[in-house]
This record gives sequence, structure tokens and C-alpha cells, in this order.
Amino acid sequence: MTPPVLLEVHALEGGYGGAKVLNGIDMAVQEGQCVGLFGPNGHGKTTLLRTISGLESPWRGDILFRGRRIDGASPRHIVSIGVIHVPQGNTLFPDMTVGENLMLGAYAPRCRRGAKANLEQVYELFPKLADRRGQLCRTLSGGERQMVAIGIGVMGDLELLLLDEPTLGLAPRLKDELCAAIGRLTASGLPLIIVEQHIEFLLDLSERLYLINHGEVAMSMAADERMDHAQIMNMYFGEA
Amino acid sequence: MDWDSIAPILVSGIVLGSLYAMMATGLSLIWSTLGIFNFAHGVIMTLGAYVAWQVGTEDGFGLGIAAGLALGVAATIGVGCLIEVTLVRPFLGRANVVLLAVITTLAASVFIENAALLTWSGRIKQLPPLIAGDASILGVTVSAHEALIVGISPAILIALWLFLKVSRTGRAIRAVSQNRDSALLAGMNVPLLYALAFGMSAGLAGFAGILLGSIRFISPVMGGEPMVKAMIVAIFGGLGSLAGTVGAAYLIGLLEAVSVFVIGLYWTPAVLFAVMIGVLVMRPTGLFGRK
Repeated sequence: MTPPVLLEVHALEGGYGGAKVLNGIDMAVQEGQCVGLFGPNGHGKTTLLRTISGLESPWRGDILFRGRRIDGASPRHIVSIGVIHVPQGNTLFPDMTVGENLMLGAYAPRCRRGAKANLEQVYELFPKLADRRGQLCRTLSGGERQMVAIGIGVMGDLELLLLDEPTLGLAPRLKDELCAAIGRLTASGLPLIIVEQHIEFLLDLSERLYLINHGEVAMSMAADERMDHAQIMNMYFGEA
Repeated sequence: MDWDSIAPILVSGIVLGSLYAMMATGLSLIWSTLGIFNFAHGVIMTLGAYVAWQVGTEDGFGLGIAAGLALGVAATIGVGCLIEVTLVRPFLGRANVVLLAVITTLAASVFIENAALLTWSGRIKQLPPLIAGDASILGVTVSAHEALIVGISPAILIALWLFLKVSRTGRAIRAVSQNRDSALLAGMNVPLLYALAFGMSAGLAGFAGILLGSIRFISPVMGGEPMVKAMIVAIFGGLGSLAGTVGAAYLIGLLEAVSVFVIGLYWTPAVLFAVMIGVLVMRPTGLFGRK
């Protein structure tokens, strides 16, 4: 028996201004599932996340969360149902402290009650942030900034987390630390959509993988079929 | 030069600085939150003075200066929100929003200025002082009204600073100004916060106009000169920094008072512009600004 579907995306089209990026995406996330998106840059992974979280309006197609349509809804509404998007290369609120940034993650009225417990969870996940809670975010390193970004997501009383390239540009040791933290988050049953170029990590973490190419799902596979690195490379570049 | 001739210059500079601080803080708040420049800021100030005159004085509705003050500020807050919703919001998110907002807010200022001329005619008017009598600052006798300006402006600006620093809404306004996407993704009502910032800024301008309306004369063009000064102050202080703007306001106020005393009223605006240009050549982000 498969768990109920949490998020469904049907024939989604969208883009920016006149440029169409998404050419009919179909995908689904089940309760408690971690879904990985990968593929070449500039083919719509980030646009897909931005459209799900309401930052961009879809042109066509629909998005359902627990059976209810959320396509075209405001980001505020989408946050209020617990779908939280942690964007790529997030610069946070640079002139505020780590603590203030995290508390702003619990801005939605629904999150205020759980803010204290969530804050403890963030500091447990990233003990480094507890030491830096009074520091301005503009002075943080890239890795610490990414931790705060994920922390802001956790503060939002998550039902589904959207993570866009959390390890982009980080040193290997920091990368491992972040991957481990994300692993702990999903181990607790948190549903996740993650965009990542770090394929081994993605294979370890996800139950289902989507290859996004030219704004379409070029391939969808269960990750327990256990592909190896060479197969993934073939998907990117075609058979050698 | 002895103290007796310096003190009046200092006091005059502090009074001017207090008014500029309120005006320029509003400009700076809009710049840092929405990323645009509001050219209707001066005319909103004029409007505040006229509404207060209309409601408060015997020639108008005669409801007393307190009612005039309250309604004048309320009216300018409303007009500020209206300008944001009708003339700025439709263009937010476009690449050329800065230029579009220059044109639309300039249009609003022409419109409101001429509406004031039609409604109240060009004949100059004056508000009674908020408090009657005299007071003494640094041994210089000034009107109690001017003393009130010197006291109330810092109080209002400190209250604004606390609001932005501590309150949930204030924090959200700062958050939107620092990262709009993240603010949206934290579930903030960004359009509402924009209107609120615009309304607060307009309310500050209206209040400054009402204070100015009893030490100078009210006319449809009275906001023009303070608007230019506020612009100089806001740029001089480093756009977007509250403390920098307030510091620059008092500095420009003092500079103006000294310049009026030493070289006269006629060349003073030129001196202020020259100083602003000089500062921007050496520090393009303003005197207290950050890169």
C-alpha cells in the first residue's frame, strides 16, 4: 500500500516574462517521501520550486497539495499550509541577527505557538547557530548562511520542505555536515523536494528521482533501483 | 565671535535639523523598503499643513489645532497609502520601476499642488503655534512652538526606530527591505507592508508640514524647498540608514544656519548642494552609508 499523495503537479507550464521555462511538468510527492530533482542548469528546477511556492504564477497546469489546488495562490497562503521554500543562494535578511532571522521564519500566525520548540530543534540540528545567534547574517560564511536558511524553513512548521541546491559552492567538509543535517530532517519523516547536483547525496537521501531537462521530466525513477554514477552521467550527456 | 552670536545660529540649526530629520527619514524609509524615490513627499507635507489649517483654524472649520493636527496627519497617511496603491504598486517588479516611480510620483505632486491651489487659493495662510509662549534653549529665547519641534522630532524618530527594531510589523518592514523574496517565503503580506511604509512616511511629512506651517507660511508650493533639503539630507546620510539620515539632518540644519549667517540666504542652497556633491565624490554611499 502506498502512502497518500501529498503534492501533485500536473502538466505545469510557466516561466518569467515572455520566456517559457516549464514545458509541462508532471510529478508527485507522497507523505513522508523525499524526492530529488536533478539535471542540467537552466532547465527549470529552480523555476519549478518558485512556481510551487507561489513566487511565480504558473501559466498552465495545476498544483495540488493534499488534494487542494494551490497553483496561483499567494506565497503567503502557501506558507500558511506549511509548504516552505528555501531558495538557492539565499542571502537571508543580512542586517539582522541569526536569532532575528530564525524568528522571522515563524512569522506566519500559525507558526508562533510552536516557535520556541522549533527554535530548539534548529539549534539542535545546527549547534553552531546557537553560538552565533547574536551575529549579523551578513557576516556569516556561506555554509553558516545555508544553515540559517534551512533553519528558517524549519521554523515555519513544515509540512513539506523545498530545498534548492543547499550545498552549492560549499567546501567538502561543510557539505558533509549539511548533508547529514538534511538526512536527520528527512529521517524524522519530513517530506522534502530537493534540487541537488551532488548526485551521491541525492541517491542516498531520496526515494524518487526526477531528471528535469528542457523544462520537462525526462525521466522518473525510484532511487532504490540503485543506479550508479556512470548511469547518471549517461543521462546527463547521453550514452557514450 | 562670542557665545551670544553663536547660540542663535546653533538653535536655528537644531530647529531646522529637527524638521529635516522627520522629512528625510520618511524619504529614506520608502527608499529602503520599496527601492524608489517619492517625489510627492514635499507636496504631502503641504497637504498636511492645509488640512490642519482647514480643520483647525477659525477661518476653516474651527475645530481647534489639536483636531487639525490629528486630521492633518491622518489625511496624509491616507494619501500616502493611496499613492502607493495607485501610482507605485502597478509598476513594482518591473525593471525600470525607479524611473516609472519618479514620473508617477512627480505627476502626483503636480496634481496635488494644483488641487491645493484650486481649493485654498494662492493666498498664504498660517497655523497658530501648537503651544503659545516662549521658551529658552541654550540661553536663546525661542517660541515654545520651536522648542516643541526640537523635543518632539527626536521622540518621534526614537519611537519609529523602536517600532522597526522590536515590533513584529516593524521587523517585517525591515525584512522586506533587505530581501523581498525571503520575506514572501516567510509568509509576509508584502503589499500591505509597502502601503504601511508609505503611509508612515507620508504621516511624518504631514506632521512636519503642520509644525512648519506656524513658523513659515502655508502656500501650495511650501513643500518644494523642504523636499529638496530632505533629498539632500537623505542622500548625504546614506540612503536607507535611519541613524545616518537623522545625523545628516542635524548636520545640514546647522550648516544651513551657519551659511545663512555667514554668506546669506541667497547662496545657501548652492553651498548645500556643493557640500553634497563633495561628499558624494569622496563617499558615493553617503556620509554614513555602507556599500
